[in-house]
Amino acid sequence: MNAVPLAIYAVALVAYAWHFARRHPGAGRAATTFLVSAALAHTFVIGVQTMEAGQVPIADATSAISTFVWLLALAYLYTEITTDERAMGVFILPLLVALQAIPAVVGVDPRRTALLRGPLFGIHVSSLLFAYASFALACVIGITYVLLFKEIKAKHLGFFYTRLPSLETLDRMNQRAIVIGWICLTIGLIVGAVFAVETKASSPSAGVSQGMSLLDPKIIVALVCWVVYSFELFAARRIGWGGRRAAYLSAVGFGIVLLNFTGVSYFLTQSHKF
Amino acid sequence: MHLLLVGISHRTAPVDVRERVDFSARGLEHALRALAARGTAHEAVVVSTCNRAELYAVCDDVASTRDDLTAFISEFHGVDRTALAPHVYGVTDVDAARHLFRVAAGLDSLVVGEPQILGQVKEAHTAATQARTSGPLLNRLFHSSFAVGKRVRTETGLGSGAVSVAYAAVALARKIFGTLQGRTVAVLGAGEIGKLTATHMKAQGVKHVTIVSRTMAHAVRTAEAIGGAAAAPWDDMDVVLSTSDILIAATGAAAPILTKAHLEAVMRPRWNRPLFIIDIALPRDVEAAAGEIEQVFLYNIDDLQATVRENLARRESEVVRAETIVGEELDRFGAWFRSRGVIPTVVALRQRFEQVRKSELDRLEYKLSGLPPEARAKVDEITHLMFEKLLLAPTEQLKALGDSETAAVYTEALARLFGLADAQAAKDAEPCRREAAENKVASDNKVEQFSRGRTRAPRA
Repeated sequence: MNAVPLAIYAVALVAYAWHFARRHPGAGRAATTFLVSAALAHTFVIGVQTMEAGQVPIADATSAISTFVWLLALAYLYTEITTDERAMGVFILPLLVALQAIPAVVGVDPRRTALLRGPLFGIHVSSLLFAYASFALACVIGITYVLLFKEIKAKHLGFFYTRLPSLETLDRMNQRAIVIGWICLTIGLIVGAVFAVETKASSPSAGVSQGMSLLDPKIIVALVCWVVYSFELFAARRIGWGGRRAAYLSAVGFGIVLLNFTGVSYFLTQSHKF
Repeated sequence: MHLLLVGISHRTAPVDVRERVDFSARGLEHALRALAARGTAHEAVVVSTCNRAELYAVCDDVASTRDDLTAFISEFHGVDRTALAPHVYGVTDVDAARHLFRVAAGLDSLVVGEPQILGQVKEAHTAATQARTSGPLLNRLFHSSFAVGKRVRTETGLGSGAVSVAYAAVALARKIFGTLQGRTVAVLGAGEIGKLTATHMKAQGVKHVTIVSRTMAHAVRTAEAIGGAAAAPWDDMDVVLSTSDILIAATGAAAPILTKAHLEAVMRPRWNRPLFIIDIALPRDVEAAAGEIEQVFLYNIDDLQATVRENLARRESEVVRAETIVGEELDRFGAWFRSRGVIPTVVALRQRFEQVRKSELDRLEYKLSGLPPEARAKVDEITHLMFEKLLLAPTEQLKALGDSETAAVYTEALARLFGLADAQAAKDAEPCRREAAENKVASDNKVEQFSRGRTRAPRA
């Protein structure tokens, strides 16, 4: 079922690329229409999976990726509508298509253990997914900032100069996405810690709770993410690390997020295998 | 009926001639009324900018109207006709339409792709509409030209990028800061170039302008000349720089005033807030290495001129795409324009067929009189539809003719074959009558569609 939104995301990607290259307003409107259609189709898919499982499909790694893609699509659409700026679409859509290919190929498992039905688990996962979606946006905005920055610095005002919003706008958007992501990440980690403690206390022998420790790769990498983004926020405000440095940190941060979200989730973690 | 353009532009006349034939100086409507009073053109629109003065007219006889329009330009502006004549060009029909489309697209402008021209063409048409000198042909022509201008602007990069140094600087500042509203500008030097650039920045919405000069009296005088600007002594330069977003360096110093090390010290308390430096001094005021500092964007006069050249080159590369759009819209307009030429023949042919139908029905009146009214109405409808179907293919073929020579041959052949004596008379009719004929063809087309629909219905 995840193949349907994947196909529409792919069509939207082509339309965004066409719009970015030719700046044809019709192509831009078509791109947004396709993305809205993809998001609606994705909402339907997640809705069906929610009805099957009894809760939003976020428990297994593959479901979480699908939900993350959906959140990222919505977050991007919100940014596009509020800023009336479509240039970022061509950078976001490849990420959506690449990640959505995972649930489309692997398939999702709607089964849930009783342990994961509590509200704490829902808050923990949804906060982190929203944080990751914000960091993905920040990363893409950061990349576009660097591309434009380099053109202006090199005094070669070409492709990106004519297509991207101002450096100030990109920097502001990047900072806003980081702040929102950091707040969600912090909430997600705190709630996750409380959930782990409660689970250990109530079902000490359960498989899920056994691997819950600060040494688990997924938890370590999540904490590294928090440190990186906390430093970025501090550096931007206290030591003047805005602009290009903040953009680079956003890219590094999201690289770690992706690593945690895919590689670590599938192959390394012991505590987050549900 | 022909479309005629008579005019002069920067391509044919020097500025001293162009400035003497500026219609906008005395008001377009005044010129349009004076032109209408001569009675040589059925319709007229005057396009007047600092780079062109063009009269678009609809007329019957091209040669005499061209002479009269040239005489009008000469008399209206009091310019000797013999002095004017070598600069005047005349273009007719589809070529005139192509010219207007290129003008509206900015392809014929002094600076290719400049954006004001489309607005000026719209103003020209509005003035003609208000003066009631524009009719069906020129209305269609000008609305098509607006579509060309809009398409070229949205589908190509012909109008993108600043093509003057001052605008290039402002465009760059906008790309760094988003908006100039509320920004602060520091000007080093109280000279004329710095003053002009600062005035331009102020006009774009910057909040504060501070003039820093070695001689405080000069700084005060320049600040007063700009209006709303402040003056600061040379020793306060670092304080001014620490709060500024844009620095215009324009002193007459023989060696760089701002070194990389100096600017690094200035940038530290700014928390790396971006500083856009426009170094328009010769020799340069800012050391080139200062551009390596993280948030310093340093552009000297050569960099800005190179940007302008790049933009101009980019615009040139978009010319082909813009010309393609002009060609597409011209094909559409040309098809419509040529179809107008055969309208009198179409109308005469239909009148001839209707005349035959009516006379045959009258001749058979004694046989039909015994029929009930419904049956007679049916006979009338059937014969009408039969003739409509017979005329459908010839009408479509005539309207689709590609060039006026072929259309003339067909018109002549049809006139002879069917004895269309009225065709020529219809061709010479008044514009309003012509419009009525067009409406007739339009309504006939609806009948054609209706009859076609009826023919196809049983198949479905």
